[in-house]
Amino acid sequence: MSLGDFLNSGSIPMLETAVKFAAQRQKMIAHNIANIETPGFLQVDVSISGFRKLLSEAVDRRREAGGDSAPFELGESNEIRRTAAGELLLNPQTPSGGMLAHDRNNRDLERLMQAQVENAGSFRVATDLLRTRFDLLKTAISQRA
Amino acid sequence: MYGSLDISTSGMIAQRARLQVIAANIANRNAILDSAGNVDPYRRRIIGLAPGDPTATTAEGRAMGVHVAAIDLDSAPIQMASYEPDSPYAYKSGPNAGYVPGTNVNPVWEQVNAMEASRAYEANVAAAEAAKTMMGQALRLLA
Repeated sequence: MSLGDFLNSGSIPMLETAVKFAAQRQKMIAHNIANIETPGFLQVDVSISGFRKLLSEAVDRRREAGGDSAPFELGESNEIRRTAAGELLLNPQTPSGGMLAHDRNNRDLERLMQAQVENAGSFRVATDLLRTRFDLLKTAISQRA
Repeated sequence: MYGSLDISTSGMIAQRARLQVIAANIANRNAILDSAGNVDPYRRRIIGLAPGDPTATTAEGRAMGVHVAAIDLDSAPIQMASYEPDSPYAYKSGPNAGYVPGTNVNPVWEQVNAMEASRAYEANVAAAEAAKTMMGQALRLLA
């Protein structure tokens, strides 16, 4: 078993996908905030439940294919695509924002900030869990208890 | 991750440009002469923002973010400042004969716009801070 097998087993690839998704979504939230005063701009977002569904489907597929050491392959939806390099591409189609203002922008600062805090939180959880995994690997490599 | 800093920076630049335009409007509120000394009242400037940032360093950054698309002149009619037929700046003929012109800058609007712009700037700073924190967490994976 090579180190690559270790890195692609257990929850590591799943956490990695969650980190990538949160990083991409942060860009979209920043885009919405940058355009908070742009006339005619409609706020964009991707569906979180759609991403969770893709993630749980991928976990189920891996479990059926042979458990922990089987390759982890995230599926695609019309909002979430994967590039050849394994990056996530978001194609936002979920409407967000509130009422249309007089400048035809449907900004909603409170919801935007809430999305930002939630997204930063899930990024944090995923990176913390990832670090725990890596620390475990390090301990195993250095043969210390 | 770095792309999201590009996006927030473009937002900050756009809002700062907006504040500059507002400052220019307030500064020229009583400017009724052109640079040659002829009566030609200052017209309020309007800034036009549009999505996308042509100056960004990444392809993704160019598609996202915000940029200043245009700075236009406000076509709203100018207000007459006072009736002073003896003033050298008063209109000699026409419907406003005898009146000294003012500009079409309304300081109340400008103040409200300035407040909006600085709040929007703050929102972009908050987004940049969040992106920075996330980058720090990701980098700590290596430590």
